[in-house]
Amino acid sequence: MVRLIDENGLRIDGRRPDQLRPIKMEAGVLEKSDGSAYIEVGGTRIYAAVFGPREVHPKHLELPDRAVLNCRYHMASFSVDERKPLGMTRREIELSKVLREALETVVFLEEFPRMMIDVFVEVVQADGGTRTAGITAASLALADAGIPMADMVAATAVGKVDGVIVLDINEAEDKYGQADMPVAMAPRLGSIVLLQLNGMMTTEEIEKGLDMAGNAIKHIQQLQIEALRRRYHIEAGGEEV
Amino acid sequence: MSYTAIGERGYAAKITRNRIYELLREGRRIDGREPLEYRRITVKTGVVEKADGSAIVSLGSTKILTGVKVEVGSPYPDRPNEGVFTVNAELLPLASKSFEAGPPDERAVELSRVVDRCLRESHAIDLESLAIVKGEKVYMIYIDCYVLDYDGNYFDTSVLSAVAALMSGSLPKYRVADGKVEKVEGERIPIPLKTIPVSVTIGLIKDMLLVDPIPIEENVVDTSIIAGYTSDSVVAALQKNTPGFMPVDLLKKALEIGKLKSQELRGKLLESLGHALEKQ
Amino acid sequence: MIYFKEAELVVPGQLLSDNGRRSGPGTYTMNGKVYAAQAGIAKAVEGVVRVIPVSGRYRPERGDKVLGIVSDIKPNVVEVDLGGDIKAVLRMSERESPPLKLTLGDVIQAEVKSAGLRGIFLDLEGLQKVKAGILVNVNPAKVPRLIGRKGSMIQMLKRETGCDFWVGRNGLVVVSGRSPASEFAAIAAINLIEREAHKQGLTERVTQLIKTLLEGG
Repeated sequence: MVRLIDENGLRIDGRRPDQLRPIKMEAGVLEKSDGSAYIEVGGTRIYAAVFGPREVHPKHLELPDRAVLNCRYHMASFSVDERKPLGMTRREIELSKVLREALETVVFLEEFPRMMIDVFVEVVQADGGTRTAGITAASLALADAGIPMADMVAATAVGKVDGVIVLDINEAEDKYGQADMPVAMAPRLGSIVLLQLNGMMTTEEIEKGLDMAGNAIKHIQQLQIEALRRRYHIEAGGEEV
Repeated sequence: MSYTAIGERGYAAKITRNRIYELLREGRRIDGREPLEYRRITVKTGVVEKADGSAIVSLGSTKILTGVKVEVGSPYPDRPNEGVFTVNAELLPLASKSFEAGPPDERAVELSRVVDRCLRESHAIDLESLAIVKGEKVYMIYIDCYVLDYDGNYFDTSVLSAVAALMSGSLPKYRVADGKVEKVEGERIPIPLKTIPVSVTIGLIKDMLLVDPIPIEENVVDTSIIAGYTSDSVVAALQKNTPGFMPVDLLKKALEIGKLKSQELRGKLLESLGHALEKQ
Repeated sequence: MIYFKEAELVVPGQLLSDNGRRSGPGTYTMNGKVYAAQAGIAKAVEGVVRVIPVSGRYRPERGDKVLGIVSDIKPNVVEVDLGGDIKAVLRMSERESPPLKLTLGDVIQAEVKSAGLRGIFLDLEGLQKVKAGILVNVNPAKVPRLIGRKGSMIQMLKRETGCDFWVGRNGLVVVSGRSPASEFAAIAAINLIEREAHKQGLTERVTQLIKTLLEGG
């Protein structure tokens, strides 16, 4: 059995249980989309891009009272240890759906009847937490695209390894740990927009995990905001429009 | 900001079309370049550690990520002493509003095959040295190109990206012990390359030739040709990829231009690659 | 009470004011408070809080001057592509004929007559054809900056480069000058304005760029 927590209570990558991996974010990295973002969380690397609002294709999918939001979560073949076959796997299809539903919750779709907004999440390297890093990048790309939203969604995963509740689980902890619980929140609204659990946790452990995730998500949202500020060169006393 | 003509061929803005011709007659392009001038090349390698080789190559705003994955498998029965490689290219929908999610369309398949042709027909990868046990176990190299940002000329950019990923990559080392193939941990060997193939895309507008077209130029060219060259300036692959007449004399001229441009491009690739490898 | 600073980038979800009855575009209200819905610069004008977005697609409004490309011609209807995947129409009654002879691929300038769920309609009055130039696409959110306060930026561009400009609120812009060098300088300037729309000292940097480009040959 792999030991995931050492005698000092530290994790296999040396982190404390409540510590995030290093995170890097950048907005506006792809020129041909309406909004884009790049994120690194530990070894996880993801691009996200947004197109729209644009006319719906095919036409019969349009909705009379709001926009259609499409989301595709996809992994590059070389993003994982064993080369992933081309095309969409069942896992990618499921994650595309839960990501879309999380984003749909905050986007003001009713402002764009008969239009669609496309969100593309491309995992270039997977090192644990790709859906949560993916949704963080997607939300940053939506803000970069000027899409109206109630809040900027940010996400991380908590887990249980060797009986300890830990934040932002990495690939080894995901593989050999007892539980993995990805959480996405609209932090300013204090609400969860994506939640999954693989593995066993008591309700007390879930509560503790959600508190831990909630604090981390506020920090991650701060990083999103800083990335947007860098992107738009906003300085105090800037010129008026 | 981008140069635009919007729309499809049918209604591409006439003023853009006209201005492209007028400028070309004065030896200029609509984005300020000269007819035979490539956009800036940048190379970043080692961008995906889980791959056995990886690179992001940009040509202007066009950005293509290639990853190389290596496995061990059986050779093809008709080539028992050679390793195997395959090329796949995808036009990711995040790269352009003209790319759609879903299985590769004919453009993506054409791109995969043209990149494959440039690598295969130039004998770039030394397949014979990829046999681990002749007739039984060989290296299998998967080269996957993903277009991340599309601002024209995905052919040349993909070839550059694939070559950069191969040159910056390596193979895990295997040894044969007691008739079994086992990995030698911690040891890696370079991917054996015999030549550095480079492709040059040349567009024809009336009687004028230009290289490295951006999308609005791709929309108005009468036809275009992609030529792959080896390090010895031998042509190893050709693809005419836009409907329209290509006069024989202009094709000859295009191939001469391609020869010079391929040398220039290869030089720039090697220079950027050198810098990238230092950083990796 | 106002919770944002002047010229600060506000982001979706940020609390802007606790007077929920005074909220403008780019914001939303919840529990009597005003929050930002888009990334942008917040402003309180006569007590109404709004966000001027830093990016986003064009949303047509009546009276906007737009540029477009004639993309289809049907009996009594000319379809115009405004870029950003939206199309508008010029509609004529049975007896009317178009004030200009239009063909596929023509670039036109027109005013938005109405925009709503039934489509975007352009005004036949004031319709103009743009005869020559380089057509570029800028982020529609940056168009007000490109025009400048009371047209100051675009006037400066005209003066410094000697080019003519057609600026569509939808982000399509045509630059037409006497020499390629002047057009390229104008386009480089537009590029800089788009990239650094919210940075201080923009006008001076743009002037400097044009001077360098035109004098440096």
